[in-house]
Amino acid sequence: MSRLALAFALFAPVTAAAQTTRDFTTSRQLHGESRLEARVAYEAGSLRIVPSAAGDLYRMHVTYDSDRFAPVSAFDAAAGVARLGLESVGTGFRVSSRRRVEQSGFLALSSRVALSLALELGAGDGDIELGGLQLTRLRLSTGASRTTVRFSRPNSSRCERADLSAGAADISLLALGNARCQLVRFDGGVGTTLLDLTGAWPADARLDVHLAIGALTLRIPRGLGVRLTVDRFLSSFSSGGWTRQGKVYLSPGYARASRHIDLALATAFGGVDVEWVN
Amino acid sequence: MRARNRAFATLALLLAISRPAAAADRGTAALTAARDIWGIIQQLRGDHEAQDGPRPGQAPAAHPQPMPPAGPSDLTIDLSDLSRPAAIESRFAPLNRLAESQIRVTVPNGQARLGNYSVGSDQTVRGHLLVVRGDADIYGRVQGNLVALDGNVTVHPGAVIAGDVLVVHGVARVVDGGVVDGEIRTLSAAVPAAAAGAPVSALALTVRRLAGLAGVAMTLAFLGLGLATFGHHNLEIVSDTVSHSFGRAFVTGLLGQVLLLPTFGMVVVGLVLSVAGILLLPFAVVAYVLLAVIAIVGGYLAVAHAMGETYVRRRMARGVTMGAPSSYRFLTTGLVATLALWAAWALFGWVPVAGDLIRGAAILVTWLLGTAGFGAALLSRAGLRENFAGRIIPPEALTDEYLWATPQFGVPAVRRPGGARSPIGGP
Repeated sequence: MSRLALAFALFAPVTAAAQTTRDFTTSRQLHGESRLEARVAYEAGSLRIVPSAAGDLYRMHVTYDSDRFAPVSAFDAAAGVARLGLESVGTGFRVSSRRRVEQSGFLALSSRVALSLALELGAGDGDIELGGLQLTRLRLSTGASRTTVRFSRPNSSRCERADLSAGAADISLLALGNARCQLVRFDGGVGTTLLDLTGAWPADARLDVHLAIGALTLRIPRGLGVRLTVDRFLSSFSSGGWTRQGKVYLSPGYARASRHIDLALATAFGGVDVEWVN
Repeated sequence: MRARNRAFATLALLLAISRPAAAADRGTAALTAARDIWGIIQQLRGDHEAQDGPRPGQAPAAHPQPMPPAGPSDLTIDLSDLSRPAAIESRFAPLNRLAESQIRVTVPNGQARLGNYSVGSDQTVRGHLLVVRGDADIYGRVQGNLVALDGNVTVHPGAVIAGDVLVVHGVARVVDGGVVDGEIRTLSAAVPAAAAGAPVSALALTVRRLAGLAGVAMTLAFLGLGLATFGHHNLEIVSDTVSHSFGRAFVTGLLGQVLLLPTFGMVVVGLVLSVAGILLLPFAVVAYVLLAVIAIVGGYLAVAHAMGETYVRRRMARGVTMGAPSSYRFLTTGLVATLALWAAWALFGWVPVAGDLIRGAAILVTWLLGTAGFGAALLSRAGLRENFAGRIIPPEALTDEYLWATPQFGVPAVRRPGGARSPIGGP
């Protein structure tokens, strides 16, 4: 009997503290809406956002850890506001490794309506494709994440402004010209940042970039006229290729360029590199 | 469409089977990726294909029937707000324990059905509709929210649902021409993640932990061997500092742990504020981390050395033959002693409560020893300073008495009068 008990004790399954995953899907059909204000808060995990021309206003699918997070999906039809994402549940502070928070999300936003997008990313990876949407306003804030925001196709409408902020993050903003924003503001904390100014700029625009600690890479097409003002403190800046006029740097062929970008750059610690692309 | 789904599923299954066991992690990642891709394909396609039979976590279908009126003590669920699906699902939890004939639910401003239910094209359901343990096929009109628990929902062409749709433990399918004015939400059953939560037998868990412990012990023994060979003097001084000034070493280690990060921050800021310092910053960061690790690990090994030395010398004092009292022996003995609690946890960690207690004790003891070792390494400046190692002669021992006190015996240069009384000469 005791041997049986011992054998049972040894071979009985021991359930370790496990992550319990669930799938959640939400969508909303288009019913003649002309605009959407999407507020997406995604606290942890990987998130992919794509434009969609299908008959849905939005469609989200998340695989999430139901012990620590809960999906959010609410739509205010009167205001045209959708709140989507994942929020943490419970209280207290818990440190989890990246491996243990295996959450993934997929969000498709309609390219048929004017979109104001507010996106908050916590810890995780973000792959955000906003090309082809009718983006009128963009607010993006990331925590400790690795995020890529790209505008592979030109924005279908004029974007009033884009406010982007990153904490301890590795962030790449690709083909910003396709965003067609009149004003782009970027506040970076600690990390590496890539600002790719390629794309079809519809008009002159202004970029305000504030970076605390980290490396910034500016990718600038040669045909674009960039007027750069640098306010730096203990930061390196390679001025090769620029024409200096007092405290202002002008890109090659600035006077002949059809589009002009006024770039104000303030950095504290770190380095600023410039890549010239054809 | 269904055949295509099966083909995808078969392909995914074959991919999973063809993975070698050694590549389990990569296989899991590939399966996860395949699942994600398949999920995305489903999302982009815009529907969920209904499957035959219950889905995972789904209760079997009940016999179609209207749900009997609920009593005052039965379940009442308000379906007017479906924005928190997990909360709605938790309200349904009591139904899982009930047999089909016992289920009673009241839906304010609505009705509940048990088993498969269909709304005809000429029918209108006024208010909310709850379908439990069955599929809902909607051809007509629902003037409220529709919720299905343990079943699927299909909105057919021409059907109109004025509110939201929520499917718990099932799938929703909206055929072209079907209209849902509100949101369409589906929530799957909870699935323990295979990678993190697979049940492991106690035997396998014990073997795994013992293997891990053996690895740690071998690593520490290897490091100790290197330290005893190339830094023998430093190791002994740190070890003696632990032995002679344990309390002081522990307090110093405690303060050192507290100040470790602030000091690091000050070093970084100090270097950043100077132009030349920025260039040195990467090297300084690496050097600081390296020194901290060396101090902690080296200190821990010194504690093991001290424990082993004490034990071996006591045994030898009792006349037990133990071979040469070398640093290697001290270290080996000490490491066995310091890791004994972890060995106990590896063997009995699976026992409820007791396992956690053993682990807690092991963590506490390891921290105590590590702190003392770290403090001793700091006090002795990594074995360069002997002040706390008991090797300095105490002040009271420093006397010049030996310079003037003439011994009465044993000095041949002095001959006292009356040599006959000399102890050397003797009578």
